[in-house]
Amino acid sequence: MSGYIERTIASLVAASERAAIAEQVAFSEGALQRVDPRVKVAGLFALIVVVAASRRLSVIAALFVIAAILAAASHVRMRRLAGWVWLPVLFFTGAIALPAIFLTPGHAVASLGITAITEQGLRAAAFLIGRAETASTLSALLVLTTPWPWVLKALRIFRCPMIVVAILGMTYRYIFVILQTALEMFEARQSRTVGVLPPSERRRLASSAAGVLLSKSVQMSGEVHQAMRSRGFRGEIHLLQDFRARATDWCWLAGFGLVAAASLWYGR
Amino acid sequence: MAGRNLNQTALHIPDGYLSPATCAALYAGAAPFWYVSLQRMKRAFNTQMVPLLSVFAAFSFIIMMFNLPLPGGTTGHAVGVGIATIVLGPWASILGISIALIIQAVFFGDGGITAIGANCFNMAVIGSLATYAIYRVLAGRASITSARRVIAAGVAGYVAINLAALAAAIEFGIQPLLYHDASGAPLYAPYPLRIAIPAMMIGHLTIAGLAEMVVSAGVVAYLQRSEPALLKRTAPGAAESSAAVGSLRHLWFALAALLILTPLGILATGSAWGEAPLAQAPRGLRALSSFWTAPMPRYAPPFLKSPAFGYLLSAMTGTGLILLVVLLTGWLTRGRAGSRGLTK
Amino acid sequence: MNIFQLRDVSFKYETVAAIDGVSLDIEAGKRIALLGANGSGKSTLLRLLDALSFPGAGSISFQGQPLSEVRFADHQFAFDFHRRVGLVFQNPDVQLFNPTVFDEVAFGPLQLRWSKSEIVARVNAVLESMEIAHLKDRPPHRLSGGEKKRVALASVLVLDPEVLLLDEPTAALDPRSQSQIIDLLIGWGDGGKTVITATHDLGLVEDIADHCVILQAGKVAAEGNPAELLADQALLQRANLVHAHRHRHGSVVTHSHPHTHPHKHGSETI
Repeated sequence: MSGYIERTIASLVAASERAAIAEQVAFSEGALQRVDPRVKVAGLFALIVVVAASRRLSVIAALFVIAAILAAASHVRMRRLAGWVWLPVLFFTGAIALPAIFLTPGHAVASLGITAITEQGLRAAAFLIGRAETASTLSALLVLTTPWPWVLKALRIFRCPMIVVAILGMTYRYIFVILQTALEMFEARQSRTVGVLPPSERRRLASSAAGVLLSKSVQMSGEVHQAMRSRGFRGEIHLLQDFRARATDWCWLAGFGLVAAASLWYGR
Repeated sequence: MAGRNLNQTALHIPDGYLSPATCAALYAGAAPFWYVSLQRMKRAFNTQMVPLLSVFAAFSFIIMMFNLPLPGGTTGHAVGVGIATIVLGPWASILGISIALIIQAVFFGDGGITAIGANCFNMAVIGSLATYAIYRVLAGRASITSARRVIAAGVAGYVAINLAALAAAIEFGIQPLLYHDASGAPLYAPYPLRIAIPAMMIGHLTIAGLAEMVVSAGVVAYLQRSEPALLKRTAPGAAESSAAVGSLRHLWFALAALLILTPLGILATGSAWGEAPLAQAPRGLRALSSFWTAPMPRYAPPFLKSPAFGYLLSAMTGTGLILLVVLLTGWLTRGRAGSRGLTK
Repeated sequence: MNIFQLRDVSFKYETVAAIDGVSLDIEAGKRIALLGANGSGKSTLLRLLDALSFPGAGSISFQGQPLSEVRFADHQFAFDFHRRVGLVFQNPDVQLFNPTVFDEVAFGPLQLRWSKSEIVARVNAVLESMEIAHLKDRPPHRLSGGEKKRVALASVLVLDPEVLLLDEPTAALDPRSQSQIIDLLIGWGDGGKTVITATHDLGLVEDIADHCVILQAGKVAAEGNPAELLADQALLQRANLVHAHRHRHGSVVTHSHPHTHPHKHGSETI
């Protein structure tokens, strides 16, 4: 049972690569990329809520198709969506939903010896998977078509406090600094490890790594604080927000509003 | 999804599992804690709050990606709420873990956007407050470097994650009661409490809880050796010397109380939701075991099918696991002195 | 006229004295090198000059105004001081805390409540002059070491400070980025600004300084003309700035070697 270091490295690298690809796609010239981030944040969030509220499978399916069309128009490749969103969600939520097919009481549609598949069970599984897939696709669309700092600044339209926007931005920034440190630490560890360590030793190494990272983080936060003060920070956060909604943005907003309202109506 | 394979448990609730009303209620439930935490942080840290929270949330985020080797040969992921609370205190931990969860949900698709309130409430709010209470009670006035603090941290992390899982299980379990379509098909998480609770708890009593225990206890042990000052925030009145032998005996008493309370707690939760515990809970377990060991029951000895046995088994597993945690932590800390050469 | 005046300044981290009875007069418009080995107190001294910490004993004054905690409780005074004195940290990851390059450079002006149009104009101008305008929407984690350093510099220069404090400006940079940064500093310092550079890179000194202060264990070991101080082998050895077997002949560096002393943290390995 070796390989936990490799698996941690793989997770860290995957997160970093995912962010790199998201940044790259977000700066390309697709349909959603050109929309004002505030309109996108509000519009996609509204659709996600509608997905959660709908009581009809057909409405959820229609919203899924709309999300896929928006993705195609925004340079988000179907293969990427499948690899990042659709398949992982299917495996995870699918595994959770599967027993419901048998366990949900109701009208039996097929009997399998000791147990039976029920119509209600099938519908329950379809609701769970359909909602999870559609909502995940919509939220992936947001980060794939909008640079993260813009997503954050757009949160101001929900009256999100300035200080929270600043902390979210700074957290994202330091995720990459700490990720790099962790990666270097694990790679150094990996290169020095000969043979397989006993399990207790592996645990001790993992928690020491976490401890090193923690004390470095605390030290770094102190230095960042100094760097902020050095440039006039006195505890108050000010942000520069320079979004300008154009005519097309209003059209998009109307479009999102229309789809959301219609889905809400049909999905009652 | 990079994040998706990180959290094999349903502790990061995705979109679609909870109804909009439940989500709204949990946002509303988390909001006062966020508000109070922000106010307390501003007072305690002043201008340092912004960088401290940001860097610490980033740290929590990275810790959630650690693949931890667990006793028994499996690996798992921790939330990091145990160690966050012990180093920074419960208020900073509530905010720090919440921020990490928000970025996981929005950027990495791990946990739903509508479920951010629920996830923050379960892991950040319940997790931080439970860790803090248990750690303070179990650690008592033990000195900063005492082994008792390591054990207290491990138990606190373990119990906190299990309480968070219980909260999530309850949120799942009330969905089919409240929301179904005309045909009676559940609209959201489909399992009732009697299935949702044992299904969630078995995974967390074993893997996720142990992962949190390993990180909490391990990092406290590491900090005792290299940076004890970081442990002072949640250890007011800690004894100066590590001599306190009697303190360990108190710890065992506190733990025993916890052990006795755990199965009672499960029973109490059952009855709180309007179910007569001994009659109803086993039916859930029976249903559960029917899909886990689907082909088996036919050949199984009859006593395995007895409902009471099922419940007893789950209670024993829980209690036994806690005992195991305690023994393992003790064993981890004993081995600690010998490893110094390797970790420095 | 002296822009900074230090009298018997001492500063301790918990119990360890980092600065121990330093007295210095720093003339306005001078370019000064603070030389010293790791742990000699250079970085601490820069932080004291930038009023990020305050001396435990002794006093520091800036243009006749004492720098003290009490004085900095006054927001207006603090804003004014931080606009006029800028510090570039050694580790750009510490200094670049904003999500994009543009936000980073705009951070200082935003704190000082400049008008929006003024901020946008100034930030763009500085990005242009530092040749990093094309990076403005990039997140810092996608920048090279040299680019990060230039953004860090831009984020301070945008305020057009009178005094520039630099902590190891060329550390951990490849040779090409090093010389770019040095050229930038030489060009900028000519405008009558005070530039104080902390470094242990002796090769840098004559390019960036016309006055030199050597620190050793938190004390001033020597002060004076760079050429004279750098010729004093005994002094440089005492201050741990050269190794006994590697030394200079006249102005030619023989056996030049990559002189980096990586910053050591408590426990780097796991």
